[in-house]
Amino acid sequence: MNWTLAIPEIVLTIGGLIILLVGAMQKKKNSFFSSAIFLTAIFIAAGFLTLTNVNGLAYYGLFVNDEFSRYMKLLILIAGLLTIILSLDFNKKNKTTYFEFIALITFSTVGAMIMVSSNNLMSLYLGLELSSLSLYILCAIDRNNLLSAESGIKYFILGSIASAILLYGISMLYGSTGAMEYDNIHKAIVSTNYTNMEFVIGLVFVLVGICFKISAVPFHMWTPDVYQGAPTPVTTFLSTSPKFAAFALFLRLMSGPFGSLSYQWQFLIEVITLLSIVIGSVGAVSQTNIKRMMAYSSIAHMGYAMVGLAAGTTNGVLGTIIYLTTYLFMNVGTFSIITSMTKKGKIVENIHDLAGLGKSDPGIAVAMAIFMFSMAGVPPLAGFFGKFMVFWAVIQVHLYVLATVGIVASVISAFFYLRVVKIIFMDKASECLDHRSLSISFMSFGMGTLTVIFIIFMGPMVHVGKVAAQSLFNLS
Amino acid sequence: MTSSLFITAVISPLAGFLCAGLLGRIIGDSFAKFISILGMTLSMVCACIVTWQFFANHMDSEVVHFMEWINAGNVHINWNLKLDSLSVAMLTMVVSISLLIHIYSIGYMFHDTMPTYRFFAYLSLFTFSMIALITSNNLVQLFFGWEGVGLCSYLLIGYWYTRPAAITAAIKAFVINRIADLFFLVGISLLFIVTGSVFYSDIFHKLPDIASIHYYLMGFDFKIYEFIAFLLFIGAMGKSAQLFFHVWLPDAMEGPTPVSALIHAATMVTAGVFLMVRMSPLIELAPYTKIFIVIIGAVTALFAGTVALTQSDIKKSIAYSTCSQLGYMFVAVGVGTYQIAIFHLTTHAFFKALLFLGAGSVIVALHDEQNMFKMGGLFKKLPITCILMWIGCLALGGIFPFAGYWSKDAIFEAVWLNHSTLGYFAWGILLFTAFLTSLYSWRMLFLVFHGKPKKQEIYDYAKEAPFSMSLPMIFLGVASVIGGILLFPYYIGSQQNIFWGNSLINETDNLHMAIVHHTPLLIAKMPLILGILGIILAYLCYSVNPKIPSFLANSLSGLYRFLLNAWYFDKFYNVIFVRPYAALSQALWKIGEKEIIQEIPVILANFTNRSAKGISWVQNGSFALYAFTMAIGLVVIIAAFLIYQ
Amino acid sequence: MNIFDTVGVASYIIVSGILFTIGLFGVFANRKNLIVILMSIELMLLSANLNLIAFSSTFGNLTGQIMVMFSLTVAAAETAIGLAIIMVFYRNRRSVEVQDTMVMKG
Repeated sequence: MNWTLAIPEIVLTIGGLIILLVGAMQKKKNSFFSSAIFLTAIFIAAGFLTLTNVNGLAYYGLFVNDEFSRYMKLLILIAGLLTIILSLDFNKKNKTTYFEFIALITFSTVGAMIMVSSNNLMSLYLGLELSSLSLYILCAIDRNNLLSAESGIKYFILGSIASAILLYGISMLYGSTGAMEYDNIHKAIVSTNYTNMEFVIGLVFVLVGICFKISAVPFHMWTPDVYQGAPTPVTTFLSTSPKFAAFALFLRLMSGPFGSLSYQWQFLIEVITLLSIVIGSVGAVSQTNIKRMMAYSSIAHMGYAMVGLAAGTTNGVLGTIIYLTTYLFMNVGTFSIITSMTKKGKIVENIHDLAGLGKSDPGIAVAMAIFMFSMAGVPPLAGFFGKFMVFWAVIQVHLYVLATVGIVASVISAFFYLRVVKIIFMDKASECLDHRSLSISFMSFGMGTLTVIFIIFMGPMVHVGKVAAQSLFNLS
Repeated sequence: MTSSLFITAVISPLAGFLCAGLLGRIIGDSFAKFISILGMTLSMVCACIVTWQFFANHMDSEVVHFMEWINAGNVHINWNLKLDSLSVAMLTMVVSISLLIHIYSIGYMFHDTMPTYRFFAYLSLFTFSMIALITSNNLVQLFFGWEGVGLCSYLLIGYWYTRPAAITAAIKAFVINRIADLFFLVGISLLFIVTGSVFYSDIFHKLPDIASIHYYLMGFDFKIYEFIAFLLFIGAMGKSAQLFFHVWLPDAMEGPTPVSALIHAATMVTAGVFLMVRMSPLIELAPYTKIFIVIIGAVTALFAGTVALTQSDIKKSIAYSTCSQLGYMFVAVGVGTYQIAIFHLTTHAFFKALLFLGAGSVIVALHDEQNMFKMGGLFKKLPITCILMWIGCLALGGIFPFAGYWSKDAIFEAVWLNHSTLGYFAWGILLFTAFLTSLYSWRMLFLVFHGKPKKQEIYDYAKEAPFSMSLPMIFLGVASVIGGILLFPYYIGSQQNIFWGNSLINETDNLHMAIVHHTPLLIAKMPLILGILGIILAYLCYSVNPKIPSFLANSLSGLYRFLLNAWYFDKFYNVIFVRPYAALSQALWKIGEKEIIQEIPVILANFTNRSAKGISWVQNGSFALYAFTMAIGLVVIIAAFLIYQ
Repeated sequence: MNIFDTVGVASYIIVSGILFTIGLFGVFANRKNLIVILMSIELMLLSANLNLIAFSSTFGNLTGQIMVMFSLTVAAAETAIGLAIIMVFYRNRRSVEVQDTMVMKG
């Protein structure tokens, strides 16, 4: 059985359940207890992940633990933690019920972690559904906001369609190979030397379901509306945790069971990547709502992360991992500043509402500038290194078109990132933003510092990433 | 010891430039002048000591290592100075004349309203560049000096930068130099490619090895030597204002007179001759190029002589005279007698600088009047200047025993003894030019100093030059008188082999130097006779009967205008090169730059903007559309997979 | 008519395929209200389940059927959540028509 490998998930689940129980019963409406339980659970889980070194299968082959899954799970845990910190003040102002919020985030994190560690199509589906269902609720959690409800509806409908496609694909895969475990599927593919139509449909449907979660191009259209409508902490979580989990899933599938078919799907991945990068970069140019702009930018960023996947080598996986790490910091930092955008208590989301921030609050302005430059890929900030590693990996396999398009799109994307910087520093303000809360300050400065000093601890990080990437290929 | 003195002689003008130029505003005008003159004096003293040591101790030519410059791969080019008789002789000449001009400039620029520390700084910088050119031991360092003197010429011609004429003249000089330098550079590169080095010693060692390389051009088969020598000569033509590249020299008279004296008489324009002499081992192996050099030199001398006859500006007249004498020097190079060329270069430096300085003192005395036809009878007011100008003209005309006689006669004898059709042809042209030389020189003297003053007002105000201006002129006058006799034995006389060592090479069958003194007597004296004829004719035309020149000008008006406009070279270049080029630039700017290049970013930006709006337009908020897009994507991917199989 | 002689796996696959397509079309060819969309999604999930059971019986394996157990549970939870979200939307917008969900665009 080997259930000890799954201790992080178990701890988090128990924590979530306790939060639900206690929260439903407590009289005072403060978030202290819920947050405390959550923090404890996170720290135990993270501690387990970093300090122990056991690899292996658990639960009769449903669950796998190796360096790659530990790394990605750590990223997901950090994403959850940062979201909670970010949301403390926001939820207090909006009077969102906190314990539900925290519990949902916990369960979504658990789902994401299960996705990362899945070794079986069943656990893949279950983890994905757990994560997604929590997220559907979270998007619509602001009961008084029409946009929030609409975003919940859109995400729910489109997400359910994607889950249905995924399930159909799983059924087809099961039908053509007779197994649900990755190892058996791999054996079945290798032994029969042809792939029949059932198998192709199954593979494509599974891929499409996962591509929906990472908002790759033909399946990206939910992203702007959902990001804009959901409350900002939820958007933060939405742009990090499920995407990381889906990427981990993608990487594991592509290097595991379907690794031997790379010649078939590599070109398709390239096309999808190219389109994601281009549409993400170009689409954001005409946006004035900052959350929509960040949505398109996250489409582009996921495109860049997929470039590493398109390379299909260990270096590519390494590049993707580093890219996702840097993306986490930049993104959470940006969204923390977006969370604090209120004028006289009313939430504002237009880019031009940031005007004059350079004079009224220079600290936050500098932090925002750092994040924008990092997203545009300016060295020596973190974003540059992510892009560098990904492009380096893809050039090594001679996919020059992809690299060129990526670089050109980076240049285009620099426009809308720097437009924000320009508005912050050079435009005159009619009114200033409200004063920021402590949690926002902590988050933005913390993430800003991390982005700037990434270059210093990039060495050890690349080493860790390389170990993770290699473990992925060893397991297949 | 000698080497450090040598290095000091090279560096002190540079130090003078840096102090006067960079600190001039801080330390004040007079102190800056003092510093630059101090630098020059130091350089002069060191140069003299080095010269004395070199010849007294019979030193061999050596290379003095100074500093490292380029160390890239196989290319090692460092600051090395070549210490041999040619560089020492030229160095002493250049440094002494430069020092005299520095002193002269104190008086000449005294009435300038703006601070003059810039002028002295540029003069020192020029001297340093010229010295770098002379003392280099490789072609790259020589090119550095070459470009340096070109730059200083530009800076100094355009010194009074508020005058538009000065600025255009400076640009003209620089551009024409540059065009010739293109050929020079190609020559250096070709030399580097075939011999693998730019150092003189290496090149000259390797020359016999590459004799077999031939290039075919227009049906003729030329050796590699011809090509390289030809390219180098074109570079020299530009710097020394020979026939097609001469148009900048008269315009360069817009600069202050000391500049004309230093740069356009004594030193910079002689850099071309110096280059040819330095590369003598190469030139000796290129007979066709030598023929070309002789032709160009002779025609230039003739051309400049005829034009000088009609000029009314005193400085332009002397400028054309310089151009003419440079033609003489190149003829000497062309027949292989490099020693004579350097000899004439040195004596010419003395008397031409003297003539320019004298013209400068006349100009200062008459408050910037430069038209000779407005002067007259000045010998009562400017006696010293008058005497010195007479000495200069006597030297220029080649009258015994002044300096020019020895060098010019040597050239005539060398050309005659070539015993070829070309030699005789050149001899004839040079003879006629000698006649013209005396003619226009005495024309100038009679118009300026004798006869009746044409404009009484300026005549009354004229007074003699101050001591700072006349002292250098006196030195130069003395040099013009005795310089020829003194230097004759060493440069081209009995001691020449000991003097030159192996810094110049003559071919083994070039017996000119040996038999240069065995020409028939009448032939040898012809130049002198013609010079005196010129003096007599000038006396007749300008002193006895001033109406003769105007009568001649009116009756031969076509010829007169042809000469007055310098054989219409300027107009020709204007029509052929300048106007089409200007039209092309205008077209490229208006259409190329404004309409095409500046529009490209705008077009790209518009395209991106429209695409962005298109993507925005697609997202119309209906999740049905989103789901439909997903379905389409799904179908396309499946189709692609199935077809790809 | 060979494939349809015996009721083999092929017929199940075809039926589930048709169901899936109907469900998919029900999502975007819909002008009515959101509840219909919920039903269409259910239909798609059910078609996948049908597939799983069919394959499970072909292989004689229980894996498919276990998957169906889980999948049905998840589908039920999903429907509940969907209805809750539609409730929140209705409270704000007083309608469950598809056209009223197009506020956010661009």
